[in-house]
Amino acid sequence: MTEMEVKFIELDEFRNAMQRERERGMDFLREIVGMDWGEEGLGAIYILENSNTRENTEIGVRTTEREKPQIPTVSDIWQVAELYEREVFDFFGIEFTGHHDLRRLFLRNDWVGHPLRKDYDASETLNPVRLESEPAEEFQREYDIQDDKEMAKIVEKLKILHYDQFIINIGPQHPATHGVLHFHLALEGEEVRKVDIRCGYIHRGIEKMCESRTYPQILPFCDRLDYLSAHQNRHAVCMCIEKALGLELTDRTQYIRTIMDELQRIDSHLLMYSCMAMDMGAITGFIYGFREREKILDIMEEVTGGRLIQNYYVIGGVQADITANFARKVKEYCNDQKMRIKEYYDLFVNNVIFRNRSIGVGVLTREDAISFGATGGTGRASGWACDVRKRYPYAMYDKVEFKEILHTDGDCYARLLVRLEEILESIHIIEQLIDNIPEGEYKVKTKPIIKLPEGRFSASVEGTRGEFGVFIESHGDKSPYRLKFRPTGLPLIAAAHKIMKRCKIADLITIGASLDYVIPDIDR
Amino acid sequence: MIDFSSIVTAVDCFLESAMPHQLAIVVKCILAAVCALVAYLSFAILMIYMERKVCASFQCRLGPTRVGKWGLLQVFSDVFKMIIKEIIEIKDSDRILYNLAPFLVVMSSIITFSCLPFARGLQVLDFNIGIFFIMAASSFGILGILLAGWSSSNKFSMIGAMRSGGQMISYELSMGLSILTLVVLSGTMQISEITEMQTKGWFIFRGHIPAVIAFIIYLIAGNAETNRAPFDLPEAESELTAGFHTEYSGMGFGFFYVAEFMNMFIIAGIATTIFLGGWAPLYIPGLEGFNHAMCYIPGSIWFIGKTLFIVWVLMWIRWTFPRLRIDQVLVLEWKFLVPIGLINLLIMTICVVMGWTF
Amino acid sequence: MKFEDTYIGTVFYTAKSLLTGLKVTLKEFFTRKVTEQYPENRKTLQISERHRARLVMPHDAEGNNRCIACGLCSMACPNGTISITTKSVTDEESGKSKKVLVEYSYDLGSCMFCQLCVNACPKNAIEFSNEFENAVFDRRKLVLRLNR
Repeated sequence: MTEMEVKFIELDEFRNAMQRERERGMDFLREIVGMDWGEEGLGAIYILENSNTRENTEIGVRTTEREKPQIPTVSDIWQVAELYEREVFDFFGIEFTGHHDLRRLFLRNDWVGHPLRKDYDASETLNPVRLESEPAEEFQREYDIQDDKEMAKIVEKLKILHYDQFIINIGPQHPATHGVLHFHLALEGEEVRKVDIRCGYIHRGIEKMCESRTYPQILPFCDRLDYLSAHQNRHAVCMCIEKALGLELTDRTQYIRTIMDELQRIDSHLLMYSCMAMDMGAITGFIYGFREREKILDIMEEVTGGRLIQNYYVIGGVQADITANFARKVKEYCNDQKMRIKEYYDLFVNNVIFRNRSIGVGVLTREDAISFGATGGTGRASGWACDVRKRYPYAMYDKVEFKEILHTDGDCYARLLVRLEEILESIHIIEQLIDNIPEGEYKVKTKPIIKLPEGRFSASVEGTRGEFGVFIESHGDKSPYRLKFRPTGLPLIAAAHKIMKRCKIADLITIGASLDYVIPDIDR
Repeated sequence: MIDFSSIVTAVDCFLESAMPHQLAIVVKCILAAVCALVAYLSFAILMIYMERKVCASFQCRLGPTRVGKWGLLQVFSDVFKMIIKEIIEIKDSDRILYNLAPFLVVMSSIITFSCLPFARGLQVLDFNIGIFFIMAASSFGILGILLAGWSSSNKFSMIGAMRSGGQMISYELSMGLSILTLVVLSGTMQISEITEMQTKGWFIFRGHIPAVIAFIIYLIAGNAETNRAPFDLPEAESELTAGFHTEYSGMGFGFFYVAEFMNMFIIAGIATTIFLGGWAPLYIPGLEGFNHAMCYIPGSIWFIGKTLFIVWVLMWIRWTFPRLRIDQVLVLEWKFLVPIGLINLLIMTICVVMGWTF
Repeated sequence: MKFEDTYIGTVFYTAKSLLTGLKVTLKEFFTRKVTEQYPENRKTLQISERHRARLVMPHDAEGNNRCIACGLCSMACPNGTISITTKSVTDEESGKSKKVLVEYSYDLGSCMFCQLCVNACPKNAIEFSNEFENAVFDRRKLVLRLNR
């Protein structure tokens, strides 16, 4: 799945073709990559997967129209496309006809231009640093599909929220949104009637920046996407580049990478447990989780030199060899952690108050999980076996023995259980590898200037909160023509939108905590 | 054992002889108020320090250690900081109610505080419907919280206040029921008399099973009355940032803060008074030597010791459990505590009538 | 109907689960505390050797560094953190002109500690040190001159 074969479809045929794909069982829309091919026009690449047979197809569509490019929407076929298409609209200005709420997703409403177009004017006079807050958009913009190929127009203005409802803003500054996410809520008493989720408060334009950086320079950005799966993010990018270059890694590198990935996973899941406890008001549970997480961070710091921004994997290997007492410390930690998990269960997970607040709350069905592309712990709690480590084994994952944790309830409780059980699985993986790290080089030599061959490459890894994918279109330069990260959090936000309806304010916080999103990963 | 009533009588005689009767009454009132306020504040400071240290211990932390030895001066510096902070005028707020609300809350808690019997005769208010008065006085603190939420023109505050209203009015009921159970046992509402009766055995032992059940219900309801976790929905910081006192700064917030801690002390104090014998020392029938030895420990130590123990238990609960949701809070009250409390009251009545108490 | 679902069962089950929780916190109440008292523990504080806190240029006893002013580090930097001023000096023995470092300026404020400069350096002239107490009150003080 490294080198991609994109099947391009004519614009007129596109919607029918997509519908046929869906009927054929391609139920998982992995990502929509907006593209600007310059002369050949604007367009998008849709990466689809059949969740049962794991068959993949890549479908491309393009239009040469630059003033008002239009592509039919697929948001009614795959629910997650609603947000993906808003992102593409935001970055490329492609209008998706039939999309019922096509607003910008990340940038301000008064932003001029679409930044990922190649002809984008980045001058500061067009988009100065604005100090006043943006005018809130009150209306949804709906584009109608017109049978005759006339310009589709805004046919209707639907109010996003009705102002006769009790409206409150949870975020962007709020203790329970874990960052700068903004829930715009319409309430009826304590009950949530409608949610409008606004992102982009920490949008840094990383994908745009990557287009002007060399490949090694892209890597530091990866630690800053989902900072709780810094290793996995770098792993995906390194893997993608290494495969495109045809680099063979040493076994030692693969062992180290697998162990570090799993340590990072434990770290992130501990944080998820802790934050969930804190959001539910059990601050003591939070402190206990962080106490153990601190030990992982200490181990990581010793090897990588970083606690949050790890900066460890490089193209062809890792930055530095593991330290002499790494194995001993990891084993000590693993033994300790296994005992501590029981304490979490006693204190928080089995607590009757928590159970009552989380069981049956925010249920995401398996179909919805796939349609929203909610991978990771969230998908597995709904019974969708979506673990990339099993679907497309990479590094050492096909040589170690581990279970894919699956629950079927799909509620907040199941989502927490999946994470806690995965901690044990990760420890199990680490224990199989830690004593057998083979001798050898920790890094293979690469050329001083790395140029990828022409083509489209992709790789994905199991990040801590879902499938993290990288898509690179290279035109043979030392920097990518287009680089797209598949965010693990955006599908979760899309799903949150649906399952938060009709819940209470307190449930909204529970659901948010259980989905375990990280905002810099959503906003990029 | 020291009887504080003799000291009080001595002061009373001195004042009456030194000045005219009306003036003497005014001076006595002022003296009593000053004593009550000083005691109130010193306990508030003790409670805040204790909360921080106890909470830290439960969480494997050290708590404040920087200001003064073992962080002893931490609370004083906090108070100082709060006093010098600006009190922000909120746009569109109802100015009068907004400023009045914290005082209402503090007032209710000071009045209730003055009813606590710290030792024999060491009590500001004591009359024949003391328990009744305590419940009445403590319940108008809700008014302050509702007003705070209503007047600060903030939607989070509003939700917090409404939650608080629903919760506190409900829990008043089961608190009343459990106190009533003990009134049935004692046969009086006068606080001094209730305590006096317990010098021959604490009510929690004399009333055995129904008294223990009433005690547990009382602790749960009392915890809810003070808005502390797991019942801290009105200020649930992860949902409503700070709930009803989101918009308060400086001493306005300080009053709510102090009142919250003192309400916990008062709840524990009342529990001590009616269940654990107040200032009465531990009495075990048959062990005269032991009882005699216990009497050498002053009553005020007994009272404060027992109260602080219950406070510690309340903190233990607070720092262990997650928060309930508003519907669960009400289910707990109306489906569990109230029916159990009613049945318990009936059992206690039967026990008293049949003479099955000790 | 299971006992746990009955009215009485709920009460007992609730009590049991709450008491389990209380037991855990009571145990922790008496265990050793984990607070690290920085800055009192500066002497015993262990910062790992690889920790990247700021870029330094090691100098030997005579005050010479190994920098050859090639500029690879500033080219490798994704943020433009490093700027190098050079001058040409003619070597007296061979008569060849050679670039010499005048000032190596490093902006700690915009560094993202990615280690690309250190990796790029052919002479190992720069490295990251783990002195992490770099807080200052003015951004301008974060622009450091690394060579002596």
